[in-house]
Amino acid sequence: MASWRSLLKSEDWMSLWLGLFIFALSMGLLAGIDMLGWAVKTNVWTSFTQIVEPVSKGYAGLGGLGSLLLTFLFLLVIMTVAARGLEANVRRFAAGFVVIFAASYLCWVAGHFAYVAATPDKLDKLGISWSLNLTGEAGYILALLAGLVVGNFLPRTASRIAEATKPELYIKTAIVIMGAGLGVKAVEALSLASAVLFRGLCAIVEAYLIYWAVVYLVARKYFGFSREWAAPLASGISICGVSAAIATGGAIRARPVVPIMVSSLVVIFAVVELLLLPFAAQVFLYKEPMVAGAWMGLAVKTDGAAVASGAITDSLVRAKALAVMGVEWKEGWILMATTTVKVFIDVFIGVWAFILAILWCTVIERRPGEKVRVGEIWERFPKFVLGYVGTFAATLALCLAFPHLVAAAKTASGEANVFRHLFFAMTFFTIGVVSNFRKLWEEGIGRLAAIYAICLFGFIIWVGLLISWIFFHGVTPPVVGG
Amino acid sequence: MENDPQPRLVDELQRMQREELLPIEKKLITWSIVLGIVLLAVLTWASYTFFPGQ
Repeated sequence: MASWRSLLKSEDWMSLWLGLFIFALSMGLLAGIDMLGWAVKTNVWTSFTQIVEPVSKGYAGLGGLGSLLLTFLFLLVIMTVAARGLEANVRRFAAGFVVIFAASYLCWVAGHFAYVAATPDKLDKLGISWSLNLTGEAGYILALLAGLVVGNFLPRTASRIAEATKPELYIKTAIVIMGAGLGVKAVEALSLASAVLFRGLCAIVEAYLIYWAVVYLVARKYFGFSREWAAPLASGISICGVSAAIATGGAIRARPVVPIMVSSLVVIFAVVELLLLPFAAQVFLYKEPMVAGAWMGLAVKTDGAAVASGAITDSLVRAKALAVMGVEWKEGWILMATTTVKVFIDVFIGVWAFILAILWCTVIERRPGEKVRVGEIWERFPKFVLGYVGTFAATLALCLAFPHLVAAAKTASGEANVFRHLFFAMTFFTIGVVSNFRKLWEEGIGRLAAIYAICLFGFIIWVGLLISWIFFHGVTPPVVGG
Repeated sequence: MENDPQPRLVDELQRMQREELLPIEKKLITWSIVLGIVLLAVLTWASYTFFPGQ
């Protein structure tokens, strides 16, 4: 019974079910039933009437506001059901979700303002002479900034929406949905897709072996951290932020306070990276788009921030390449590189935690009679990855087996993508809300922040860039119309 | 102690004892980096040979 309950109680499992539910609804199109066509599509706009419309022409009668209302109600219902499964306070969750959805969506809409978002090829069509060329994904940055304002200056509001402030739940659900879209893309360029998967795996093996060891050495030798602090810190800084710090803390039997404090630092630095690295990638890596994507996966910590930065990088880099080189790469491939790398990182956390657990309990802190179960790898395995891989493989297999379904599968993934964007926007907003810089500063963050900053900006980012370069340079997404 | 206050980061860090690097830790670090460098060569070769990507 207990194990069945865990299929609902953890955010990890819940994100898997939510993502699969939306994926299943979208796949109705393969049987000719459009079950998500009413979802709201947000356009780049110059006047209010252009902002929203249903994603499918078949639901045009609903109008933009009708589809927005339906989308909101749909998400409110499924997320509240999820909150009930997670044993959250349902009323508080629903109230918080309303605020989070509204704030995130407003930012998403603001980011689509033509003078902010329009790419050079769309200026004439929109009747404007200039724009910041940031694409609609600028809405994510606005959502992050709005969340930071709430988290740092409006503590009462942050506390009122705390029950629904779940960035990991939102991003993991989005990642499961994203698998289907990437599966359809992979059909168009199988060789490239297999290269991204294999090279992503290679990049991760490298990152684990080099990152962790060096950060652990620096923390132990030069900053005098104890083993209890150094191991979660090394995992948090070098591997995958929060989940890695917690898994490592559990593996070496650190006190719970250690990974928790490391995690709060991870989130803060992830926000800094999220605000800097995609723009750096746009300036310096627009000729090497897949390097840029993999770099986000290797350098930016936490699933939410990494995949989110991959989404922004995807848009920024493609927009710059179009503006400077006149090359229009297909959307989603850069994000695929980021997601692939990030997902492999998550998969390996369990393996790495297992290795550390064996080392710690058999040699470093020898405990007589204590054994590490292989089952712990599964317990630490991020379950939402099953959804990502499952939707990716299912869509890919379907499209390969029945090529006449590719067009319907593309439309289906486009409809599901509406929800991916919304979950992304809510991820950005809630990451901002949980990033309380002031609180950490008051707690005396200095020494921990120093090692984090030194390792991250002096080493991790650059080695990540080098590894990304080695495995992804010269690889480019397919060209639109190519 | 009726209500244990939340541990503060600054107190935790001050309380931390210095521990010398054990030989097993040195081994873990060295092997990890050496394996990383060796695998870098192998995986780069495998990537460009079997998964050219274009």
